[in-house]
Amino acid sequence: MTIVKKALPYFLAVVASFIAAGIFIALMGFDVFKAYSTILFTSFRTPNGFIQTLLKFVPLVLQALAFTIPLTAGKFNIGGEGQMIAGGIGAAVVGILFSSLPAYLLLPLVILGGIIAGAIWGLIPAWLLYKFNINEILTTVLLNFVALALIDYVCTGALRDPGAGHPTTVAIGVGGWLPLFMKNPPFHAGIIIAILVAIGVYIYTARTTGGYELIATGANPRAAGVFGIKVRRMFVLSLLLGGAIAGLSGAIEVAGVQHRLIEGMQSNYMVLGLIIGLIAKGDNRVVPFVAFAIAILEVGASAMQRTLMIPVEMVFIVEALILLFVLLSDVVRRK
Amino acid sequence: MDILVNFLRLVLLSMVPFVLAGQGTMLGGRTGVFNVAQEGMMLVGASLGFLVSYYSGSIFLGMVAAMLSGALFGLALAYFTTALKMDQFVIGLALFFIGVGLSTLLPKIIIGITLTPPLIKTLPNLAIPLLSSIPVLGPILFNHNILVYASVIISVGLWYFLYRTQKGLELRSVGEHPMTADSLGVNTTKNRYWSTIIGGALIGLSGAYLPMVYSGTFTEGMVMGRGWLAIALTFFGGWSPLPILFGSLFFSAVEVLAFRVQVIGSFLPYQFLQMLPYIATIIVMIITFKRARVPAFLGLNYDREKRSV
Repeated sequence: MTIVKKALPYFLAVVASFIAAGIFIALMGFDVFKAYSTILFTSFRTPNGFIQTLLKFVPLVLQALAFTIPLTAGKFNIGGEGQMIAGGIGAAVVGILFSSLPAYLLLPLVILGGIIAGAIWGLIPAWLLYKFNINEILTTVLLNFVALALIDYVCTGALRDPGAGHPTTVAIGVGGWLPLFMKNPPFHAGIIIAILVAIGVYIYTARTTGGYELIATGANPRAAGVFGIKVRRMFVLSLLLGGAIAGLSGAIEVAGVQHRLIEGMQSNYMVLGLIIGLIAKGDNRVVPFVAFAIAILEVGASAMQRTLMIPVEMVFIVEALILLFVLLSDVVRRK
Repeated sequence: MDILVNFLRLVLLSMVPFVLAGQGTMLGGRTGVFNVAQEGMMLVGASLGFLVSYYSGSIFLGMVAAMLSGALFGLALAYFTTALKMDQFVIGLALFFIGVGLSTLLPKIIIGITLTPPLIKTLPNLAIPLLSSIPVLGPILFNHNILVYASVIISVGLWYFLYRTQKGLELRSVGEHPMTADSLGVNTTKNRYWSTIIGGALIGLSGAYLPMVYSGTFTEGMVMGRGWLAIALTFFGGWSPLPILFGSLFFSAVEVLAFRVQVIGSFLPYQFLQMLPYIATIIVMIITFKRARVPAFLGLNYDREKRSV
């Protein structure tokens, strides 16, 4: 009963936003029924569709966690994009410089390179917050734009692949590629990493002292401080962890999907991650499920654009509306 | 000398989006509504302003449309935070997402994908008679498009309204201590609505400046973080109209430097110059954030039925 009660507002929010967007789609002169059946069922019609959904799930759940972990401590990390790019750069540079290493060395190094680079990118705003008390929201956002220029520099600089038309680096060593479950369509092992991270985050926040301190800090920093929790250090730690996880998502993109660094690889994963995190209301346990639902919508959106010529942004608006309605359902319940 | 004159001219030209978005943010914030949807609202303003100008052939109508779209976002923000008492930051983010999505969706469904970008005529320069023929100062100050002059007039007008009129004092009191303001008969709700709506209109207009002056067309993500920079600018200017006007000269100068030195050529790779506006802003925040004067009630919602604020 409680699960039904908890799920009901989500369900109503989804229905409401589909109705709202449906009116818009109909006004544009498209077939609403066809559009929605494409969005909802592409993931389940073919094995390929389901694998695409799992692949989309990986960056989405990691980006969402990169947002919700700092949120647990009451801090907003809007820098997942920059941290993901930094992670991608770290992974690619390691993978190219040590390309001759065997897989059992290179793959961990590539992943670690991404995690460390992402953590550094998250550490900058954390340090500015710790040292100068500067609001982390703006600094994390601004660092995204710095990272966008940085990836352009890396992709057009010394590591550039001159054969590629788009700014791209040369490929990383084969040892750095994530193993595949399946060759066609390529289905890499990133999903296992993502699930392990999601479980790890759940155990950390729900079952350990450190995680409890994080939650206490977010719930009431002053009270937490009185009980001897080093609140400011928890802020730094939370942003560092968020950066590391976002960096990991960049490393997986390089090691699993592209095998090289490509400008634009960050897609719009960060914004989707924020939407997922906010729909889940910052609850780390709920994040993976919401992320999977959004992955279904995203795969459906590309199919809808291909077959029905409805721009993918339509689905993005649906997702933003779901968020808005979920937030509104809180207000309704309060009354 | 010519380079310097040209540089200063460009600084004035490029300050407009910062001025308008900064004043818009300030106006809402002065009643306690902290808007973080600027980036999305500016994108919608740019997109819609471009589309309406393209189809109507009138830049003026484009500006009106951009302002209306911004005002609508402002109304939404005010309604969700003032009437429904929802978290300002979270609602701001949600509106930001909707803005980003709408701004690319609209041109895609209305114009579709074309090989050559559809262009509108950019805003013409209005040389002010006599003043524009003063050597050096004339070309720097008095030969600009109408929005350059308008942004200065709006800033001074806002200063006069906020600091020299009764209504302005009332508006500021809502952002400092709404309980007191309320008890003295100031309508806090009305003030919050109107400041956020008019502020939103200014933010929408600032977005429309980009296609109307710089590029003549709309491109995805063309605001390039200026919306977020505007928030930093507002803090930098202490939530006060005239310091924001002067602060925007600095933000604009950095932007011009980042994009013009690129053309001149330099010893640094151009990507590092592109980082300049964002890094400079972070440095400015380090220097000014501690001393920044902020409305006491910024970001909070006022519920008159609660006992304490």
